[in-house]
Amino acid sequence: MNDPLEAPVDEAAAAQQRQRYELADDTGFDEVPKKYRKFYRRWQGDGDSLAPNEVICPVCKVVIRSTRELRPGDRVYCMPCMSRLVVVRNGQGMLEATVSY
Amino acid sequence: MADFLSAYSIQNWLESCPQAYLEGTEYGHQPGENEPEDLLANEVLREDAIRTTVQLVVGEKCALAASSGLINAAPDEGSKCFLATQTLDEARHVEVFTQRLIDLGVKKKDLDETIRRHANPNLVRFAEVLLEKVDKKDFVAGVVGQNIVLEGMAFSVFEMLKAVTDAVNPKFAHTLAGTIADERRHVGFGENRIGSLIKQHPERKPEIEQMQKDMSYHMLATFAASFRNNPAREQIEQVKEGMRESGVNAEYHGANLSELSPEEMEGVLSDTVLEEFKVRLGRIGIDYQTPARP
Repeated sequence: MNDPLEAPVDEAAAAQQRQRYELADDTGFDEVPKKYRKFYRRWQGDGDSLAPNEVICPVCKVVIRSTRELRPGDRVYCMPCMSRLVVVRNGQGMLEATVSY
Repeated sequence: MADFLSAYSIQNWLESCPQAYLEGTEYGHQPGENEPEDLLANEVLREDAIRTTVQLVVGEKCALAASSGLINAAPDEGSKCFLATQTLDEARHVEVFTQRLIDLGVKKKDLDETIRRHANPNLVRFAEVLLEKVDKKDFVAGVVGQNIVLEGMAFSVFEMLKAVTDAVNPKFAHTLAGTIADERRHVGFGENRIGSLIKQHPERKPEIEQMQKDMSYHMLATFAASFRNNPAREQIEQVKEGMRESGVNAEYHGANLSELSPEEMEGVLSDTVLEEFKVRLGRIGIDYQTPARP
């Protein structure tokens, strides 16, 4: 599977409600092979924000992008640092990723 | 586990690094890019750039010795492959930063003496603590020291240097961007490989925590020497004033570096690196040890 979203949670029940996203081919991110570059972008600092299909890798700080809206329990893969992650909702209600060793 | 280690292949490294962000570069930057004329013409600033670059060479020489030394201590083929690619990454870093010394006017015959003269003794001690573990073929402690402590420090230092140089020295900023991309893989390997190994060897934690504390102290002492009593302080202030007048926002972790004093910059960098250590070590089950402040 190309998409970093490897294992969506509750796929059967939630599939219809998941918003889909068209990813731009070139995000300027060039740290993975060409065919995977649209799935990643660099975090732009304080003025930046995450879309519902994005989560930051806590290991290498790159933004991971999926073609589908992300939800708690989803497993995603960060190719730039080769980390396997699980999406969780933090105390502020925001989505974030935790590393799965 | 087999699937996790399979990502550490030479093919993956080729497609992600030489055939990606390094494609078309020369010594890590675009062909034809040079050090800024006003830097080369100002003897105090040029000497400061040489002094800073020497610390990068020293750190990368340590990383080269550590990553190559750990290959034969690695318990599996995937880790050996990854460390082989990291060895080439670190050798490249030594080369590009050494080339920068030459670009800054250091003659080839004077390189060794220049590095010896400017190398911070605390950074040398930092490297010695790590290389003692590597010499003992201690894979777990070696990877924590190399890929979490050393690479975690390098990651933050390179990001800060890049924030400062983005607008005033594109050549050096491009060199740094490639090394930052390399560091992503290195810190990722450190966390992912040790995160699973430390669970199998919990008895190693106290010794590794002491190593982290020792290395952190020497790192902070290196930062202190680099930011405080810098002989180029006045000239650097003038550069920062020019950046402010041009509206350049050298943002690093929420701070505009062009508006900070050297002591404040040291504080931001130290706090950032130590917080990163705390979070990264906590994720793999190691208790961060607060170092003494020099």
